[in-house]
Amino acid sequence: MALRELPLRAAAVFSRDARPILCAFGSSLSSRRNASTDALQAVETSSSFTGSAAAVEAPKDFDPIARSKARRRGKKYLPPSRYQYRPPKYYRGPFHPHQPPPEADPASRLFQPGPFSLPRLDQTYQSTIASDLLTLTYQHYPPGYRAPVQTQRLREWTGDSPYYKNRPLRPPRGRGDELRLLTEPRTFRNIPEITGVVVHSMIPEAQESSAYLHVGGMVLQAITNVRAESHRARNNVLQWNLRKDKWVSLTSTIGQEDAQHFLSKLIDVVLPKIKEWKGVAASTGDGSGNISFGLTADQVALFPEVEVNYDSYPPKMIPGCHITIQTSATNDKDAHLLTQAIGIPYYGKFKD
Amino acid sequence: MNAGQQTTRRLASKAGNSVCRSCKDSISRSSYATAAAAAQSQDATQQNVPPVTATSPGQSYAVNAGVLLSRPPQITRDLHPFESAFFLYQRRLNERLALPFTRYFYFKKRTPADLEWKRKIKQRLTPARDIGRYKGYGEEAWNDELLVGAQESEFEHQVERLLEDAEHGAERPGEGENADAQANAAAAEAGRPTKKVEHEVVERPMPRITEADKKGDVKSLNRALQRTLYLLVKGKDGKWTLPQDVIVQRETLRMAAERILTQSGGVNMNTWVLGNAPVGHYQHDILPETLKTAKNPNNLGSKTFFMKARIMAGQLDLKQNTMGLADFKWLSKEEVKSAVEFDYWRQIKNMLAER
Repeated sequence: MALRELPLRAAAVFSRDARPILCAFGSSLSSRRNASTDALQAVETSSSFTGSAAAVEAPKDFDPIARSKARRRGKKYLPPSRYQYRPPKYYRGPFHPHQPPPEADPASRLFQPGPFSLPRLDQTYQSTIASDLLTLTYQHYPPGYRAPVQTQRLREWTGDSPYYKNRPLRPPRGRGDELRLLTEPRTFRNIPEITGVVVHSMIPEAQESSAYLHVGGMVLQAITNVRAESHRARNNVLQWNLRKDKWVSLTSTIGQEDAQHFLSKLIDVVLPKIKEWKGVAASTGDGSGNISFGLTADQVALFPEVEVNYDSYPPKMIPGCHITIQTSATNDKDAHLLTQAIGIPYYGKFKD
Repeated sequence: MNAGQQTTRRLASKAGNSVCRSCKDSISRSSYATAAAAAQSQDATQQNVPPVTATSPGQSYAVNAGVLLSRPPQITRDLHPFESAFFLYQRRLNERLALPFTRYFYFKKRTPADLEWKRKIKQRLTPARDIGRYKGYGEEAWNDELLVGAQESEFEHQVERLLEDAEHGAERPGEGENADAQANAAAAEAGRPTKKVEHEVVERPMPRITEADKKGDVKSLNRALQRTLYLLVKGKDGKWTLPQDVIVQRETLRMAAERILTQSGGVNMNTWVLGNAPVGHYQHDILPETLKTAKNPNNLGSKTFFMKARIMAGQLDLKQNTMGLADFKWLSKEEVKSAVEFDYWRQIKNMLAER
């Protein structure tokens, strides 16, 4: 069966380019009768969401569990091997007859449920912060202004060698080894936003006993809602007592909804509880829109998820952590503005 | 090298007063980049010259400053029924797919918390407190859809469940009373003093609809908490507009906006004017027929440039206003539409936020 279907599938793949032309012809022939014409007429024109309450009469004693039990009384369960669909474990290419379902299908092995809520921080961003940032970072150009032509920042390979053709361009001269990101003119399409948060925890004690790493992983998982990933030391560093290839650190990379919830928790619950804290140093930022700061072990213990069962964690094993807020801003100035708008306090002088 | 920059600046200064400061800045800034490319330096003069508009010296518009003073939304918005149904569906899916709750990490065996946990889980079958009575594992996990008329996906219902959980430990009020009554009866029979179990009362969240909403008090800032509210004032001519005034000479738009706020609402307001650039403008044209008979036929009308401002605290006090304002209102976008004239609305509507 599967083998018989294969040529059809292959034909469909190859004729994909020709299809729009057919469609263009098809749309002009309105009198043509398709297989779906009858079915279309059977479809209800009104949505169930707009329908009145009277239209839907709820059977009050409807019990799905009892119904299913009554239906299979005295019978055996359906054999799961035949009636329960399992997607293929491996992807075997586009021509294989057994294709995995799309990732958004709950039957897929890669399916991740969510979103579960509409985060408050996200709503504030959409309704208030984004438009304010657009107003604050507006750059006026007089009508008729034409932006100067940007010159190529990378150097070309000049010479006679035929290998220079199509070779990637050379970096600029000098010691600065990386080019800074370009900041495009600000429009409503490129307002900086939070793209993710990385929580990183370096635990040198874990070289002696792995318990530190396990406890740290539990703490990070509790506060970020994401399983922590552990890392080995890449180098020997004598001063830090660091030995190569030992497990020393943990990271949790959060995105989307989790990142929003984590940040609002941090800003509204944890940071106000810290005593004698000056704020985040204004010198933070990597030049391309990522803001980092650290929390000590005592401060991490202020997260509500840790506080609720503080006694479950072995004493003095709760780690401190570094938090990196990733934004879509391309420079530190915009990233500072955005993080200030969501409520992160800074101290010191901004250097941007 | 710097010839291009010099020329541009000189041209800009020759153009007279028509070039504003930010334009001048942008000209000088952009010419750094052009100066870097020596090959294009002769091009620079052609590129960045601001157009010198040849306006006839006589006819002109008066320039006014206005303030778009707004109070941002204070609470999250109500979810559409489809959204809340979708979120509940995804939560129940998660319940089926996630690893089970690590019970002994949170509740140690044979502790009061563990007993309470057992009682709760017996009732709601799942550690999650707000997805209703549903178990993600086992034979009946497929039964994750709500029946018609079920309340579980509604926000108020979920809030109630959370509060109930915090107060009673998930026992239904009726059951709890019964259990207490039985225990008391047993204690009375045995001759012990009856013990009354008092549950800690958890503070309810503030209602999402306030008193001002119920009364329809449009002067209160404590209304329509889910929406952005804009300040509208009633001028001498009886029309509702955003607060505005003429620019006193050599005043920037921002300074004018701050002055208008103080003069119209008094000093009892904590406001923040955003940036130095306006967010929109309203152009009032005098009709051609009226213009012919007007005293000054060269005055074509007025243009009002609106600065965006936020109110942080305080309230407008019209007693202190020196602009002759009769009344004020705090309105959301739709209400602004019905309060102002159509032409005014047409020109200001894109400044106002949807929510």
